[in-house]
Amino acid sequence: MEQSFLHTKKILLVDDEQELRKLVIDILSDDGFLNIIDAGTVQIGLSLVRQEKPDLAILDVMLPDGDGFSLMKKLRTFTNIPIIFLTAKDETADKLAGLGLGADDYIVKPFLPQELLLRVYAVLRRCYKSDSPLLELEGCTIDFSRAEVNKNGIIVSLTAKEYTLLETLSHSEGRIVSIDALCEALWGDNPFGYENSLNAHIRRIREKIETNPSKPVSLITIKGLGYKLNARK
Amino acid sequence: MKVFSKYISKHLLSFIGLILALIILNITTFAFTFHNAVSKNFGSTSPQNMLKQVAAASSSNGITKEAEKILITNSLWAMYLNIEGSCNWTVNLPEEIPTEYSIQDIAIFSKGYLKNYPVFVWSDENGLLVIGYPKNSYMKITSNYYPIDTVRKIPLFFLGIIVFDLAVLFFAYSNSKAQISKNTEPIISSIATLSEGKSINLSVSGELSEIADSINKVSNIISRQNTARANWISGVSHDIRTPLSMIMGYANRIVNDKDASSQIKEQAAVISRQSIKIKDLVQDLNLVSKLEYEMQPLQKENIRLSKLLRSYAIDLINSGLPDFYSLDVNISPDSENSVIECDAKLITRAVNNLVQNSIHSNPKGCTIILSLQITKNKLLLTVQDNGIGISTEKLKELKNKPHYMESTDDRLDLRHGLGLLLVRQIIEAHHGIIKIESNLHEGYKTNIYFKNANFNKPKEHFLWLL
Repeated sequence: MEQSFLHTKKILLVDDEQELRKLVIDILSDDGFLNIIDAGTVQIGLSLVRQEKPDLAILDVMLPDGDGFSLMKKLRTFTNIPIIFLTAKDETADKLAGLGLGADDYIVKPFLPQELLLRVYAVLRRCYKSDSPLLELEGCTIDFSRAEVNKNGIIVSLTAKEYTLLETLSHSEGRIVSIDALCEALWGDNPFGYENSLNAHIRRIREKIETNPSKPVSLITIKGLGYKLNARK
Repeated sequence: MKVFSKYISKHLLSFIGLILALIILNITTFAFTFHNAVSKNFGSTSPQNMLKQVAAASSSNGITKEAEKILITNSLWAMYLNIEGSCNWTVNLPEEIPTEYSIQDIAIFSKGYLKNYPVFVWSDENGLLVIGYPKNSYMKITSNYYPIDTVRKIPLFFLGIIVFDLAVLFFAYSNSKAQISKNTEPIISSIATLSEGKSINLSVSGELSEIADSINKVSNIISRQNTARANWISGVSHDIRTPLSMIMGYANRIVNDKDASSQIKEQAAVISRQSIKIKDLVQDLNLVSKLEYEMQPLQKENIRLSKLLRSYAIDLINSGLPDFYSLDVNISPDSENSVIECDAKLITRAVNNLVQNSIHSNPKGCTIILSLQITKNKLLLTVQDNGIGISTEKLKELKNKPHYMESTDDRLDLRHGLGLLLVRQIIEAHHGIIKIESNLHEGYKTNIYFKNANFNKPKEHFLWLL
């Protein structure tokens, strides 16, 4: 996965099982993450967050000197870093407890390396925007800092709705974003029957970013599901 | 419940039988006991016989020696009164009995007693033969006269009494039957609940509270056992997760290791595939046992199924569904805004189990279609593939075979149907109906019907103008 700007993010892993820590570190570093720190207890984890100021914390729920939920409560008193829980418990109540506290995601053991990476990237992308405001597409460049599209030297500005749509899609670049998620990003919680409006916005965006709007290559329709934004390879 | 009424009625019938038998027994006993008295009354020493005998053996002038002897041996006395009321002759006459009588005297004693001696009379043309029996040997009813109407009414009266008694008895019976039914009804229904393996809490006061206590105890034992079983499964599944993470993680790393030989990679791929099977099994097993023992609380919310299906499909595609599988989502326009109250995680799990089932059954790839539509006022969610399907016999077996968690047959295969059992349980917990259709080489199709859907009409929006 090419998410180079995310690979510099510092990740803290707290789990009492030393071998599992090694596995997770291996998985993350193999995929390009450069700064990974780890701890086996609540105490060490807490002091590492204070000293090292990680960008993401992956916490086990069961720890020798406490549990991940209380560690999270302590962290939340002084930092808002994203938190992913990693646990062997799959009870729904636990999930709610984790997410109710404001956890960003919840991974249930056993997990596949891809699943872990996918969720780590998703959380990081959601919380940290690319340092570069420019997104290179096939045939044009989007400058998010100025809400402009540069297509072959012609600059077109984006409306607020178009900007939100493109921003939402670019956060999940290369992956499908559902119609529902896009509608929610545009019009708030749980809107019904906004698909026509969404289509209209997509059509206008295509006119601005695609070389041939009737044969899109960057903003692809996934029939019945949603849309996908492809960056230039 | 009906069983109990029948039981009571059956016992009542035998009770009636017993009463009849008792009546017959009483009559027999009565007849036997009074047989002597009756035969005595109608035997040779009865007043009637004695009068006949003595009258034949005597006249106004005297009595034969034999007759006199019979009277004396039976401790009787006799006298013959002529028309004027004085004795012509006497036999064995007690001293207190006078020998002269007026008409009034005769009228009084002829129907009753003479100085407390029961007496019987025989009249002929010359006078009156009187035979006296010892005191207290016979009782004479001196006032046995009744109006004829009253006497005629006696059978009706007795019949009335019997009918009244029967009515009272029947009333008492039906009353006590209703009472027993009322008191035993909660006990019987709770036993029925218990037999389904569900726990109950019965509160009954009065005489039957002891039974209720025992039933509650049984229920406690069952629910404790269920809890212990579910906790045990949960514990095992918890403890297996961390080691399994490492097996899966490292096997996967070996598969992707550039330095590993292709043979080692292949072997690691096998470990990886098999450990994923264990993972699925562990996850299903825990949830199945929790749903089975009703330990999984449903987190119900109003959910748009169309959104849930899309979001599931996108997650599956984004997580890297191999190219030889294609996943389509068909939502009919009228079902787009249909909402059901459900536990979104469980419904997603059910859909995932069905999709994974299609993926595992078709390792060479297939097209999987998730669809949502409204048929006959029900929301219909369909998961279907165009893969190898299963034969009619297999399908029949799948539908009829009890699951191993519900069966005591230890030959049942654990690998089969755990995922499908979970689907069934989740759908049943949401009051849905599940129907499987399949033919060999014609794909596999699961229809899930939800009754309690709320079909919201799509709203008209002009927001695209904004």
